Amino acid sequence: MRGLFLASACVCVLAVFFISAFLFVNGLPFFAKYSALDFITGTEWAPLRDVFGILPMIVGSFYVTFIALLIGAPIGVFTAILLACFAPKPVVKVMKPAVALLAGIPSVVYGFFGLMVLVPLSRTLFGGTGKSVLVASVLLSIMVLPTIIQTSEAAIRAVPQSYYEGSLALGATHESSVFRAVVPAARSGIISGIVLGLGRAIGETMAIIMVAGNNPRMPGNILSGVRTLTVNVLMEMGYAADVHLESLIATGVVLFVIVMAINFLFSFITRKRIAQ
Amino acid sequence: MTNQALSPARPVHQVPTRHRLRLGSRILKALCWLAGLITMSSLVLIVVYVLARGIPHLKPSMFAVKYNSRNVSMLHAIINTITMTGLALMFSVPVGVMGGIYLAEYAKPGSRLVRMIRVTAETLAGIPSIVYALFGQLAFVITLKMGISILSGALTLAIMTLPLVLRQTEESLLSVPMSYREGSFGLGAGKLRTTLRIVLPPATLGILASVLLSIGRISGETAALIYTSGTATRIASLGKSGRTLSVHLYQLQQESRYTDEAFAVAVVLLLIVIIMNALSSFIAGKLSKKG
Amino acid sequence: MMKKLLALILALTALSAFALAEFDLSQTIAVVSREEGSGTRGAFIELTGVQKKNDEGKDQDYTYAEADFVNGTSLVITTVSTNPAAIGYASLSSVLLNDTVKSIRIDGVEPTTENILNKTYPIARPFNLVSKGELTNPLAVDFMNFVMSKQGQEVVAEDGLVPVNQEAAEYTAANLSGLLVVGGSTSVAPVMELLAEAYTELNPEVEVDVQSTGSSAGVTGALDETYMIGMASRELKDSEIENGALAVAIGIDGIAVINALDNPVSDLTLEQVRQIYTGEVTTWDAVAK
Repeated sequence: MRGLFLASACVCVLAVFFISAFLFVNGLPFFAKYSALDFITGTEWAPLRDVFGILPMIVGSFYVTFIALLIGAPIGVFTAILLACFAPKPVVKVMKPAVALLAGIPSVVYGFFGLMVLVPLSRTLFGGTGKSVLVASVLLSIMVLPTIIQTSEAAIRAVPQSYYEGSLALGATHESSVFRAVVPAARSGIISGIVLGLGRAIGETMAIIMVAGNNPRMPGNILSGVRTLTVNVLMEMGYAADVHLESLIATGVVLFVIVMAINFLFSFITRKRIAQ
Repeated sequence: MTNQALSPARPVHQVPTRHRLRLGSRILKALCWLAGLITMSSLVLIVVYVLARGIPHLKPSMFAVKYNSRNVSMLHAIINTITMTGLALMFSVPVGVMGGIYLAEYAKPGSRLVRMIRVTAETLAGIPSIVYALFGQLAFVITLKMGISILSGALTLAIMTLPLVLRQTEESLLSVPMSYREGSFGLGAGKLRTTLRIVLPPATLGILASVLLSIGRISGETAALIYTSGTATRIASLGKSGRTLSVHLYQLQQESRYTDEAFAVAVVLLLIVIIMNALSSFIAGKLSKKG
Repeated sequence: MMKKLLALILALTALSAFALAEFDLSQTIAVVSREEGSGTRGAFIELTGVQKKNDEGKDQDYTYAEADFVNGTSLVITTVSTNPAAIGYASLSSVLLNDTVKSIRIDGVEPTTENILNKTYPIARPFNLVSKGELTNPLAVDFMNFVMSKQGQEVVAEDGLVPVNQEAAEYTAANLSGLLVVGGSTSVAPVMELLAEAYTELNPEVEVDVQSTGSSAGVTGALDETYMIGMASRELKDSEIENGALAVAIGIDGIAVINALDNPVSDLTLEQVRQIYTGEVTTWDAVAK
């Protein structure tokens, strides 16, 4: 039995190995035909002419994610503080399942909502097609809220009661004890929540493909359309053949590497927290 | 900030006055409430909008046994979702639970292997679904020649939900008090017997919660399924292609004639998620009462 | 709380409807395009001249980079129907069945089956079924016979396509059974679903599986035998023919250039369409008479 348990636990390791192996084995032949440097730094994407530059999509992914976190992180962290420190019990009782529900809503429903509500709204307000970095980011910022709220709230609740009590004993009010003693102590937990949110945002596909415009060129201002790495893979997968298909797998490899890097960043922060 | 407060070098007169401190904190507190309000209203807006536009279009004909372009039935998608969920969980739950047992009961904490399993589980949880889509297509559909089928989709999703079950099992097992194990050992029971008979039962609820979350995740997954289990509109057996509810929603959304029907499908999807969430928070409530 | 929100949503919708009532011709054209690799896009850019030889003598697609890129026939229609300032193009057979958008006359010619047949409407391409060499699977052969028969071509015509076989013979069911997997172009998929429905009515023991993925995926699928029959809304590429792909046209489809019902523009020249799609013209007043 022990062996069976051990084997089951090792399935995770195997899965990661196979996923990397399949992606790299199928993606790397592309780089034999096309220079990796041109692939990553090229600004033109015209697969039918064999020009594959994914810099616009790399920039697009980070652009959308950055704006999403700019909106989502403060809202998420403040909501977490509210839940952990200020909200009366009945409010917490309503809000916690609500946040869990927000996490459970399928991304295709988010995308559909964005397409039917946010896109026309943005078009009425700002003109153009309505599909833009802004709409994609706003939608994503809602989608990353639960990740940020849940992780941050747990981190804040994990701060020893003595921090809070000590601060109160020094004459601080409830509010200032929370903001000057408790929240700073939960700092690294909150940051790792935001990093997790970053991972979710950068990997999101279905919601973005419906609202971002998907233009394969360098994104401009916040109201211009944008294509992310994830969208690039999904959008053309149905049509791709030969080198074009390999270029999409290679796009997947780049995305995979970015997500892995974020993961390492996350575990680095977590380890630092444990060390503290 | 805490460091500054402790620093003796800081001249006393630069410490903000108590009044300003209070005002600042109050503003921050107000921001907290504002943020909470934004969070809640975005949820309410999405849910209410989808329900309001979808419920009027839930017609009995949408649950007809056979799909055709006139009735736009979603019954096949509902059944495919159930098959898909069952099949994926059949792989991920046993493996995840047994793996969790290994991590919690057998492994030396902090050993190299355990660290590696943790890191890879975290990695799996963080991989975007579009990468799973590529992997599923390359590995199951093409290399293992399963074709575009429910089976290919379910295997892909099984790997996706594995870390969820694994981590939750481990955590639930670890929260079982040490005294249970000691008591059992004291009575002469072996390691395996203790684990399965004494430690596992009180952890079942926690594991169940992770299963419910997985169900939510599977029924909501779209990107990973379009190219692994496909978009065929029929009640599919394991070796054949069939669309799940969320894939159905995506396809309808692309078919401009079916916007109303798409909203109706979104309602059903939302209901599934709401029910799964309610059940799992009910379980969580039970758990916390116990603890 | 919920009621208030609902009222707010309704108010917003009403507000946007009001704002759109008056069409402002100085508006920027919201160009909607299919994605790179789409069969419809391939045919459209070739027929309108959006694709030109570049300095190196290679075909280059000059589609306006600020366009809204969507991946599906119907998604184009949805996008255009909800935005009065938008222009898009989509399979005529899908547009005819849809009353949420209108098709634009090109050089004064309405996109209708007659005009495609007498070749006055300039933007049309064949819908192809693709196989690896000659079809051998009896089920696939029988299905193909059905598609080319009188009944099959009637379905094709009902869907708004121009049938290729005007004097087809009657089809009689061969009473086969089994599973037939057809996959490919999102433009061909709707008519294929109708064909499959009609076919399975005559052959109740057969199940037809229609996968709508994309033209290239259809050809690749036919070649690696994932699909028994592939669908493509474009001509085959040389590389595909070299690998053994064989195409049979089942009907000719026009590509309609469409805009929203409340957009006053309903006449464009082929040259204006090209200018809009290359970004040389960006506002509606430049093309409105």
